[in-house]
Amino acid sequence: MKILTLIRQVPDAEARVRVTNGAVDLEGATLVMDGMDEYGVEQALRLREGGADAEIVALAVGPRRNEDALRTALAMGADRAVHVETDAVLDPISLSKVVARIAQTEGIDLVLVGGQQADWDSQALGAATAERLGWPQLTWTNGLQVQDGALTGRHDVDEGNETFTATLPAVVTTQQGLNEPRYPTLPNIMKAKKKELRKDTLDQYGVTPLVRVVGAEIQARARMNRVIDGKDPQAAAAQLLELLRNEAKVIA
Amino acid sequence: MDFNLPPEVEQMRRAVLDFAHDVVEPRAHEIEATNRVPDDLTRAAADLGLFGLSIPEEYGGLGLDMVSKCALYEALGHAHMGFGGVISAHASIGTTGLVTLGTEEQKRRFLPRMATGETIAGFAITEPTSGSDAANIRTRAERRGDVFVLSGTKHYISNAPVAGLLTVIAVTDPTQGARGMSALLVEMDTPGVRVGRIDEKMGQRGALSAEVIFEDAEIPAANLLGPLHGGYREALKILTNGRVGIAARATGSMAHLVELGVAHARTREQFGRPIADFQAVQFMLAEMQVDVVTSRATWQYVAWLVDQGRSVGMEASAAKLHATEALSRVADKAVQIAGGMGYMKDYPVERWYRDQRLLRIYEGTSEIQKVIIARSLLQ
Repeated sequence: MKILTLIRQVPDAEARVRVTNGAVDLEGATLVMDGMDEYGVEQALRLREGGADAEIVALAVGPRRNEDALRTALAMGADRAVHVETDAVLDPISLSKVVARIAQTEGIDLVLVGGQQADWDSQALGAATAERLGWPQLTWTNGLQVQDGALTGRHDVDEGNETFTATLPAVVTTQQGLNEPRYPTLPNIMKAKKKELRKDTLDQYGVTPLVRVVGAEIQARARMNRVIDGKDPQAAAAQLLELLRNEAKVIA
Repeated sequence: MDFNLPPEVEQMRRAVLDFAHDVVEPRAHEIEATNRVPDDLTRAAADLGLFGLSIPEEYGGLGLDMVSKCALYEALGHAHMGFGGVISAHASIGTTGLVTLGTEEQKRRFLPRMATGETIAGFAITEPTSGSDAANIRTRAERRGDVFVLSGTKHYISNAPVAGLLTVIAVTDPTQGARGMSALLVEMDTPGVRVGRIDEKMGQRGALSAEVIFEDAEIPAANLLGPLHGGYREALKILTNGRVGIAARATGSMAHLVELGVAHARTREQFGRPIADFQAVQFMLAEMQVDVVTSRATWQYVAWLVDQGRSVGMEASAAKLHATEALSRVADKAVQIAGGMGYMKDYPVERWYRDQRLLRIYEGTSEIQKVIIARSLLQ
């Protein structure tokens, strides 16, 4: 069995980012593997540790610095990595073309991808990949097993959760609650150095982005600095109620 | 000159930093309260691979060059200093002698279990009557057949209460002074070896040091480390390189204190604005940062020299002297920026202020470093 786990690289949640010339400037920011994708890598490792005879391939499509995220996946335990190196920003539909092609050429049985991505938030990548491949797609899983060529999993719905089964090959999107991703250990980081990290170019996949990014802004939240005079408690409470009801519209 | 770390070293550096911040720091209060590094934290450090920091890959360690090792020491410097002290006493003075001087058989016997943290190591040179004057050692190792009979007392020995193995410096030829001292690998469960009083220290809680007493302990001759009568001098050469590791760790501690200082200055308001707005505070932060930058540049240079195979007696002393004295200045300013809060046990800078003081004393006091540096100029 072959598992493809897709990795995106995003700024650390605590990183300070700036916008320069209409684009997010990541210079000096700490970049990490997207948490949603980390669940996918961890789950692939757990499937293998649970007895599945699996080869785990990590894939990243993006700029050179993505190598660091791939190295993290290799240090966690992935067997090898493929890096389609490009500075182009790919929308999820274009990106799915690359993922689907690699899934086919590598003979992949299971594609694991984060339910959404911290850098685009489309929730479309898994769906588009499954559509191109004609494979079943199982979304937002927080439980996953493989047995005799079939998947069993669980995902949250509004009323609770559902259990499902599907045959392989399949695309599964991962989310928080699926597992607790491991820290790469120092010896495994050293060992990962010797694992294969294949470099492809975007040209090999004949993909050009369908959507072009033209600008970016940082979302700034300014306080309104409105202070209610509390000398008359009754009046202050009434004024607060009025504001919450009619201005903030948080109560009816 | 390339100051970029190889990607895997950068990745390890980040892993150690994350471990220091996310795993060790939340346990700081517990370490302070109990004066012990909790077992599960030691295990987590072992799982991460910290105990194999200076052990070659073929014996289960990381196999790092000096620059890479020091980059990890700097990251370790961000961690609670008692915790960091346990790791560095093991990985530095406890391990490097065996790695450099050990026979293949000795390395196979000890290093794999030291790399996993199963055996924690330490180094025993200091005695009640010999500190800086290390040549005044009285502990005797007398050869009798297949064993050395070891007798004497060491004190202030880092890691002794938790160690499985100590490298012990002892007199093998009393007529030869410093040329009559050898290094022995002493397993702590050897009959006649016992740990005496555990020291009550000013700081670095959790990093236990103690007296170690040898009462006619029989140490197999196969445990002689390095040349007979020459082990002490060889071991000293190795300790010289270890000083650059202390400089790197001190740099990380300084960088951590700068982070604490900046965070406090940004959030603490006085006179209606954050104290970071005041130049008096800005200047302290700036001076702290200069100490970080110069200490880092110095350890990087000296570690690079070590990797070139150059001898660094003077340079390693300069790096250790500069970084540890700088750390004291930085810790003092960190307390000053925090004001009253900086004097309180609930706030971490109070702890750093106590803990850092040891670095100007152990592995050669600041004064001994100056003697070494001056000697290199005047010789």
